[in-house]
Amino acid sequence: MADIVRKQKISVEGATVRERLQAMDDSAVVTAFLGGEERAFSELVTRYQTRLLNFVYRTIGDREKAEDLVQEVFIRVYRHLHRFDRSKKFSTWVYTIASNLAKNELRNRSRNPLVLFQTVQKNFQDEDRPLQFEDPTSRPDDMYRKRHLREIVEESVAKLPEHHRNVFVLRELEGKSYEEIAEITDCNLGTVKSRLNRARNSFAEIIAPYVD
Amino acid sequence: MDCREFCDQHLAFVDDTLAGIELVRMQQHLGECDSCAKHDAKIRRALLLFRNLPPIEPSPDFSRRLEARLKNCEYDHLFAATPGNLRRGAITATVASVLMLGYIGTTLFPSDAPRDLVMAPVVANIPEPELIPITTSTPAIVASVSAGLSIWPAALLAEQVPVRFAHSSLELANYTR
Repeated sequence: MADIVRKQKISVEGATVRERLQAMDDSAVVTAFLGGEERAFSELVTRYQTRLLNFVYRTIGDREKAEDLVQEVFIRVYRHLHRFDRSKKFSTWVYTIASNLAKNELRNRSRNPLVLFQTVQKNFQDEDRPLQFEDPTSRPDDMYRKRHLREIVEESVAKLPEHHRNVFVLRELEGKSYEEIAEITDCNLGTVKSRLNRARNSFAEIIAPYVD
Repeated sequence: MDCREFCDQHLAFVDDTLAGIELVRMQQHLGECDSCAKHDAKIRRALLLFRNLPPIEPSPDFSRRLEARLKNCEYDHLFAATPGNLRRGAITATVASVLMLGYIGTTLFPSDAPRDLVMAPVVANIPEPELIPITTSTPAIVASVSAGLSIWPAALLAEQVPVRFAHSSLELANYTR
Protein backbone atom coordinates (compact mmCIF):
# COMPACT_ATOMS: atom_id res chain seq x y z
CA MET A 1 0.00 0.00 0.00
CA ALA A 2 2.79 2.33 0.98
CA ASP A 3 4.54 1.46 -2.29
CA ILE A 4 1.48 2.39 -4.34
CA VAL A 5 1.15 5.69 -2.52
CA ARG A 6 4.85 6.42 -3.05
CA LYS A 7 4.62 5.58 -6.79
CA GLN A 8 1.56 7.78 -7.18
CA LYS A 9 3.40 10.57 -5.41
CA ILE A 10 6.41 10.26 -7.75
CA SER A 11 4.09 10.19 -10.78
CA VAL A 12 2.27 13.32 -9.59
CA GLU A 13 5.60 15.02 -8.94
CA GLY A 14 6.77 14.06 -12.46
CA ALA A 15 3.61 15.48 -13.99
CA THR A 16 4.04 18.69 -12.01
CA VAL A 17 7.64 19.07 -13.13
CA ARG A 18 6.65 18.51 -16.77
CA GLU A 19 3.87 21.04 -16.49
CA ARG A 20 6.24 23.53 -14.92
CA LEU A 21 8.78 22.94 -17.68
CA GLN A 22 6.10 23.42 -20.34
CA ALA A 23 5.24 26.79 -18.86
CA MET A 24 8.87 27.95 -18.88
CA ASP A 25 10.60 29.79 -21.70
CA ASP A 26 13.59 28.21 -23.46
CA SER A 27 16.15 29.97 -21.31
CA ALA A 28 14.57 28.73 -18.08
CA VAL A 29 14.34 25.18 -19.44
CA VAL A 30 18.03 25.29 -20.36
CA THR A 31 18.85 26.52 -16.85
CA ALA A 32 16.78 23.70 -15.36
CA PHE A 33 18.64 21.13 -17.46
CA LEU A 34 22.01 22.51 -16.47
CA GLY A 35 20.81 22.41 -12.87
CA GLY A 36 20.39 18.65 -13.17
CA GLU A 37 16.77 18.28 -14.30
CA GLU A 38 17.07 15.64 -17.04
CA ARG A 39 13.42 15.99 -18.07
CA ALA A 40 14.16 19.52 -19.24
CA PHE A 41 16.00 18.11 -22.23
CA SER A 42 12.93 16.14 -23.30
CA GLU A 43 11.00 19.37 -23.17
CA LEU A 44 13.51 21.03 -25.49
CA VAL A 45 13.28 18.07 -27.89
CA THR A 46 9.49 18.25 -27.88
CA ARG A 47 9.59 21.96 -28.64
CA TYR A 48 12.06 21.83 -31.48
CA GLN A 49 11.94 18.42 -33.17
CA THR A 50 9.18 19.19 -35.69
CA ARG A 51 10.39 22.70 -36.44
CA LEU A 52 13.95 21.58 -37.00
CA LEU A 53 12.85 18.60 -39.07
CA ASN A 54 10.85 20.84 -41.40
CA PHE A 55 13.67 23.34 -41.66
CA VAL A 56 16.29 20.70 -42.47
CA TYR A 57 13.98 18.80 -44.80
CA ARG A 58 13.13 21.92 -46.81
CA THR A 59 16.83 22.72 -47.00
CA ILE A 60 18.19 19.33 -48.07
CA GLY A 61 15.07 17.69 -49.58
CA ASP A 62 15.64 14.24 -48.07
CA ARG A 63 13.36 13.24 -45.25
CA GLU A 64 15.31 10.31 -43.86
CA LYS A 65 18.57 12.23 -43.85
CA ALA A 66 16.78 15.21 -42.33
CA GLU A 67 15.73 13.05 -39.36
CA ASP A 68 19.29 11.86 -38.89
CA LEU A 69 20.56 15.42 -38.94
CA VAL A 70 17.95 16.60 -36.45
CA GLN A 71 19.02 13.81 -34.12
CA GLU A 72 22.58 14.96 -34.54
CA VAL A 73 21.50 18.49 -33.65
CA PHE A 74 20.03 17.25 -30.37
CA ILE A 75 23.11 15.18 -29.59
CA ARG A 76 25.28 18.25 -30.06
CA VAL A 77 22.96 20.37 -27.98
CA TYR A 78 23.12 17.76 -25.21
CA ARG A 79 26.89 17.63 -25.30
CA HIS A 80 27.59 21.33 -25.53
CA LEU A 81 24.72 22.96 -23.69
CA HIS A 82 27.05 23.93 -20.84
CA ARG A 83 28.99 26.05 -23.36
CA PHE A 84 25.90 27.84 -24.65
CA ASP A 85 25.99 31.58 -24.04
CA ARG A 86 22.77 32.08 -22.13
CA SER A 87 22.65 35.78 -22.92
CA LYS A 88 21.66 34.70 -26.46
CA LYS A 89 18.52 33.05 -27.77
CA PHE A 90 18.48 29.28 -27.52
CA SER A 91 16.47 28.90 -30.73
CA THR A 92 19.09 30.85 -32.70
CA TRP A 93 21.81 28.58 -31.40
CA VAL A 94 19.86 25.42 -32.26
CA TYR A 95 19.04 26.67 -35.75
CA THR A 96 22.68 27.61 -36.29
CA ILE A 97 23.72 24.02 -35.53
CA ALA A 98 20.99 22.66 -37.81
CA SER A 99 21.88 25.09 -40.59
CA ASN A 100 25.56 24.15 -40.44
CA LEU A 101 24.77 20.43 -40.52
CA ALA A 102 22.43 20.91 -43.50
CA LYS A 103 25.10 22.95 -45.27
CA ASN A 104 27.69 20.22 -44.67
CA GLU A 105 25.29 17.60 -45.97
CA LEU A 106 24.72 19.54 -49.19
CA ARG A 107 28.44 20.07 -49.59
CA ASN A 108 29.14 16.35 -49.12
CA ARG A 109 26.49 15.48 -51.67
CA SER A 110 27.97 17.77 -54.27
CA ARG A 111 31.35 16.11 -53.70
CA ASN A 112 30.00 12.57 -53.76
CA PRO A 113 27.67 11.77 -56.67
CA LEU A 114 26.83 8.40 -55.12
CA VAL A 115 25.14 10.14 -52.22
CA LEU A 116 23.10 12.13 -54.69
CA PHE A 117 22.03 8.94 -56.40
CA GLN A 118 21.03 7.37 -53.10
CA THR A 119 19.03 10.44 -52.28
CA VAL A 120 17.18 10.21 -55.55
CA GLN A 121 16.46 6.57 -54.80
CA LYS A 122 15.15 7.45 -51.37
CA ASN A 123 12.95 10.17 -52.76
CA PHE A 124 11.67 7.78 -55.35
CA GLN A 125 10.76 5.26 -52.65
CA ASP A 126 9.19 8.04 -50.68
CA GLU A 127 6.86 8.74 -53.57
CA ASP A 128 5.70 5.13 -53.52
CA ARG A 129 4.43 5.49 -50.00
CA PRO A 130 0.76 6.25 -49.44
CA LEU A 131 -0.24 9.89 -49.18
CA GLN A 132 0.72 11.22 -45.82
CA PHE A 133 -0.04 14.88 -45.79
CA GLU A 134 -3.26 15.32 -47.67
CA ASP A 135 -6.61 15.02 -46.02
CA PRO A 136 -7.78 11.44 -46.77
CA THR A 137 -11.39 12.57 -46.81
CA SER A 138 -10.77 14.76 -49.87
CA ARG A 139 -11.87 13.70 -53.36
CA PRO A 140 -9.21 11.76 -55.29
CA ASP A 141 -8.77 14.44 -57.97
CA ASP A 142 -8.43 17.10 -55.30
CA MET A 143 -5.89 15.00 -53.47
CA TYR A 144 -3.94 14.51 -56.68
CA ARG A 145 -3.94 18.23 -57.40
CA LYS A 146 -2.75 19.08 -53.90
CA ARG A 147 -0.06 16.46 -54.00
CA HIS A 148 1.07 17.61 -57.41
CA LEU A 149 1.20 21.19 -56.18
CA ARG A 150 3.22 20.18 -53.15
CA GLU A 151 5.72 18.42 -55.37
CA ILE A 152 6.02 21.46 -57.61
CA VAL A 153 6.59 23.77 -54.64
CA GLU A 154 9.22 21.46 -53.17
CA GLU A 155 10.97 21.09 -56.51
CA SER A 156 10.94 24.85 -56.99
CA VAL A 157 12.53 25.41 -53.58
CA ALA A 158 15.14 22.76 -54.36
CA LYS A 159 16.12 24.70 -57.49
CA LEU A 160 17.18 27.74 -55.46
CA PRO A 161 20.91 28.12 -54.77
CA GLU A 162 21.82 26.70 -51.36
CA HIS A 163 22.60 30.00 -49.62
CA HIS A 164 19.38 31.54 -50.94
CA ARG A 165 17.30 28.53 -49.97
CA ASN A 166 18.65 28.55 -46.42
CA VAL A 167 17.67 32.17 -45.87
CA PHE A 168 14.36 31.68 -47.66
CA VAL A 169 13.31 28.71 -45.50
CA LEU A 170 14.37 30.42 -42.28
CA ARG A 171 12.32 33.46 -43.12
CA GLU A 172 9.24 32.08 -44.84
CA LEU A 173 8.83 28.80 -43.01
CA GLU A 174 10.32 29.46 -39.61
CA GLY A 175 9.43 33.14 -39.45
CA LYS A 176 12.85 34.21 -38.22
CA SER A 177 13.76 37.88 -38.10
CA TYR A 178 16.46 39.26 -40.41
CA GLU A 179 18.77 39.68 -37.41
CA GLU A 180 18.32 36.09 -36.31
CA ILE A 181 18.92 34.83 -39.84
CA ALA A 182 22.08 36.91 -39.99
CA GLU A 183 23.28 35.28 -36.79
CA ILE A 184 22.31 31.77 -37.86
CA THR A 185 23.89 32.01 -41.30
CA ASP A 186 26.82 34.10 -40.10
CA CYS A 187 26.15 36.88 -42.63
CA ASN A 188 25.57 40.56 -42.26
CA LEU A 189 22.09 42.05 -42.36
CA GLY A 190 22.50 43.48 -45.87
CA THR A 191 23.48 40.09 -47.28
CA VAL A 192 20.47 38.46 -45.64
CA LYS A 193 18.07 41.00 -47.14
CA SER A 194 19.67 40.77 -50.54
CA ARG A 195 19.59 36.95 -50.54
CA LEU A 196 16.03 36.85 -49.32
CA ASN A 197 14.88 39.29 -52.00
CA ARG A 198 16.62 37.27 -54.73
CA ALA A 199 15.28 33.99 -53.35
CA ARG A 200 11.72 35.31 -53.35
CA ASN A 201 12.01 36.59 -56.90
CA SER A 202 13.62 33.38 -58.16
CA PHE A 203 11.09 31.17 -56.41
CA ALA A 204 8.19 33.19 -57.84
CA GLU A 205 9.71 32.97 -61.32
CA ILE A 206 10.25 29.21 -61.09
CA ILE A 207 6.80 28.41 -59.80
CA ALA A 208 4.84 30.93 -61.90
CA PRO A 209 4.38 28.68 -64.99
CA TYR A 210 2.80 25.97 -62.84
CA VAL A 211 0.32 28.11 -61.00
CA ASP A 212 -0.75 30.65 -63.63
CA MET B 1 8.10 56.64 -56.65
CA ASP B 2 9.54 54.81 -59.64
CA CYS B 3 9.61 51.05 -60.33
CA ARG B 4 13.25 50.67 -59.28
CA GLU B 5 12.56 52.19 -55.89
CA PHE B 6 9.48 50.00 -55.57
CA CYS B 7 11.52 46.85 -56.24
CA ASP B 8 14.19 47.95 -53.79
CA GLN B 9 11.66 48.33 -51.00
CA HIS B 10 9.51 45.38 -51.94
CA LEU B 11 11.10 43.06 -49.38
CA ALA B 12 10.17 45.32 -46.51
CA PHE B 13 6.77 45.99 -48.12
CA VAL B 14 5.89 42.27 -48.15
CA ASP B 15 7.20 41.86 -44.60
CA ASP B 16 5.24 44.86 -43.35
CA THR B 17 8.27 46.55 -41.91
CA LEU B 18 8.02 49.83 -43.81
CA ALA B 19 7.40 53.13 -42.09
CA GLY B 20 3.92 54.63 -42.56
CA ILE B 21 4.78 57.17 -45.21
CA GLU B 22 6.80 54.70 -47.26
CA LEU B 23 3.96 52.22 -47.09
CA VAL B 24 1.53 54.76 -48.47
CA ARG B 25 3.92 55.60 -51.33
CA MET B 26 4.32 51.93 -52.19
CA GLN B 27 0.57 51.35 -52.21
CA GLN B 28 0.15 54.44 -54.37
CA HIS B 29 2.67 53.14 -56.89
CA LEU B 30 0.97 49.75 -56.88
CA GLY B 31 -2.27 51.41 -58.00
CA GLU B 32 -0.51 53.28 -60.79
CA CYS B 33 1.87 50.65 -62.21
CA ASP B 34 0.46 47.40 -63.66
CA SER B 35 3.85 45.81 -64.02
CA CYS B 36 4.74 46.33 -60.35
CA ALA B 37 1.25 45.21 -59.28
CA LYS B 38 1.72 41.98 -61.24
CA HIS B 39 5.17 41.46 -59.75
CA ASP B 40 3.78 42.02 -56.25
CA ALA B 41 0.91 39.57 -56.84
CA LYS B 42 3.29 36.95 -58.24
CA ILE B 43 5.59 37.12 -55.23
CA ARG B 44 2.77 37.04 -52.69
CA ARG B 45 1.06 34.10 -54.38
CA ALA B 46 4.32 32.10 -54.50
CA LEU B 47 5.02 32.83 -50.84
CA LEU B 48 1.51 31.81 -49.90
CA LEU B 49 2.05 28.46 -51.57
CA PHE B 50 5.33 27.88 -49.80
CA ARG B 51 4.08 28.97 -46.39
CA ASN B 52 1.12 26.61 -46.68
CA LEU B 53 3.20 23.53 -47.36
CA PRO B 54 1.98 20.82 -44.99
CA PRO B 55 4.52 20.30 -42.19
CA ILE B 56 6.14 16.90 -41.85
CA GLU B 57 6.19 15.09 -38.52
CA PRO B 58 9.04 13.02 -37.07
CA SER B 59 8.68 9.27 -37.67
CA PRO B 60 7.25 7.18 -34.79
CA ASP B 61 10.62 5.74 -33.82
CA PHE B 62 12.35 9.13 -33.82
CA SER B 63 12.16 9.54 -30.02
CA ARG B 64 13.27 5.96 -29.36
CA ARG B 65 16.31 6.33 -31.63
CA LEU B 66 17.19 9.67 -30.10
CA GLU B 67 16.88 8.26 -26.60
CA ALA B 68 19.23 5.39 -27.48
CA ARG B 69 21.78 7.79 -28.91
CA LEU B 70 21.50 10.07 -25.90
CA LYS B 71 22.18 7.16 -23.55
CA ASN B 72 25.46 6.50 -25.33
CA CYS B 73 26.14 10.18 -25.19
CA GLU B 74 25.49 10.25 -21.42
CA TYR B 75 28.14 7.59 -20.92
CA ASP B 76 30.64 9.57 -22.95
CA HIS B 77 29.58 12.70 -21.15
CA LEU B 78 30.69 11.28 -17.81
CA PHE B 79 34.25 11.22 -19.07
CA ALA B 80 34.09 14.38 -21.12
CA ALA B 81 36.13 17.44 -20.22
CA THR B 82 33.21 19.48 -18.95
CA PRO B 83 33.86 22.27 -16.45
CA GLY B 84 32.22 20.18 -13.72
CA ASN B 85 34.39 17.17 -14.48
CA LEU B 86 37.48 19.33 -14.78
CA ARG B 87 36.75 20.92 -11.43
CA ARG B 88 36.24 17.53 -9.80
CA GLY B 89 39.42 16.24 -11.45
CA ALA B 90 41.41 19.26 -10.26
CA ILE B 91 40.18 18.84 -6.70
CA THR B 92 41.04 15.14 -6.71
CA ALA B 93 44.49 15.82 -8.16
CA THR B 94 45.16 18.52 -5.56
CA VAL B 95 44.16 16.28 -2.67
CA ALA B 96 46.27 13.42 -4.06
CA SER B 97 49.26 15.74 -4.51
CA VAL B 98 48.98 17.05 -0.95
CA LEU B 99 48.80 13.51 0.43
CA MET B 100 51.76 12.41 -1.68
CA LEU B 101 53.87 15.40 -0.62
CA GLY B 102 52.96 14.78 3.00
CA TYR B 103 54.01 11.17 2.73
CA ILE B 104 57.29 12.05 1.04
CA GLY B 105 57.94 14.77 3.63
CA THR B 106 57.39 12.47 6.61
CA THR B 107 59.51 9.77 5.01
CA LEU B 108 62.49 11.99 4.20
CA PHE B 109 62.43 14.22 7.27
CA PRO B 110 61.08 12.30 10.24
CA SER B 111 60.75 14.72 13.14
CA ASP B 112 60.47 12.40 16.19
CA ALA B 113 62.53 9.40 15.22
CA PRO B 114 66.27 9.40 16.30
CA ARG B 115 68.67 9.84 13.38
CA ASP B 116 71.25 7.19 14.55
CA LEU B 117 69.89 3.92 15.70
CA VAL B 118 72.04 1.97 18.16
CA MET B 119 71.46 -1.68 17.58
CA ALA B 120 72.31 -4.41 20.08
CA PRO B 121 75.38 -6.47 19.09
CA VAL B 122 74.56 -9.63 17.27
CA VAL B 123 76.12 -12.79 18.70
CA ALA B 124 76.23 -15.67 16.31
CA ASN B 125 76.05 -19.19 17.71
CA ILE B 126 76.58 -22.43 15.91
CA PRO B 127 73.81 -24.75 16.97
CA GLU B 128 74.78 -28.10 18.36
CA PRO B 129 74.18 -30.87 15.86
CA GLU B 130 71.07 -32.73 16.74
CA LEU B 131 71.44 -36.41 16.85
CA ILE B 132 68.53 -38.34 15.47
CA PRO B 133 68.35 -42.05 16.27
CA ILE B 134 67.56 -44.41 13.45
CA THR B 135 64.23 -45.90 14.27
CA THR B 136 63.86 -48.22 11.32
CA SER B 137 64.56 -51.87 11.76
CA THR B 138 66.10 -52.27 8.28
CA PRO B 139 69.60 -50.74 7.88
CA ALA B 140 69.25 -51.10 4.10
CA ILE B 141 66.80 -48.24 3.97
CA VAL B 142 69.17 -46.02 5.92
CA ALA B 143 71.88 -46.69 3.38
CA SER B 144 69.62 -45.81 0.49
CA VAL B 145 68.54 -42.54 2.06
CA SER B 146 72.11 -41.42 2.63
CA ALA B 147 72.82 -42.17 -1.03
CA GLY B 148 70.22 -39.57 -2.05
CA LEU B 149 67.50 -41.99 -3.10
CA SER B 150 63.98 -41.61 -1.95
CA ILE B 151 62.61 -44.18 0.46
CA TRP B 152 60.12 -45.82 -1.86
CA PRO B 153 62.56 -46.97 -4.60
CA ALA B 154 65.04 -47.75 -1.89
CA ALA B 155 62.57 -50.11 -0.31
CA LEU B 156 62.03 -51.77 -3.68
CA LEU B 157 65.77 -52.19 -4.14
CA ALA B 158 66.37 -53.41 -0.61
CA GLU B 159 67.15 -56.88 -1.76
CA GLN B 160 69.92 -55.62 -4.05
CA VAL B 161 71.82 -53.81 -1.30
CA PRO B 162 75.15 -55.47 -0.43
CA VAL B 163 74.92 -58.01 2.29
CA ARG B 164 77.43 -56.25 4.52
CA PHE B 165 75.06 -53.34 4.95
CA ALA B 166 72.22 -55.64 5.75
CA HIS B 167 74.23 -57.24 8.50
CA SER B 168 75.80 -54.06 9.85
CA SER B 169 75.25 -53.08 13.43
CA LEU B 170 72.86 -50.30 14.50
CA GLU B 171 74.46 -46.88 14.92
CA LEU B 172 73.42 -43.24 15.16
CA ALA B 173 73.43 -41.14 12.01
CA ASN B 174 73.67 -37.37 11.66
CA TYR B 175 71.56 -35.72 8.88
CA THR B 176 72.01 -32.09 9.71
CA ARG B 177 74.92 -31.48 7.33
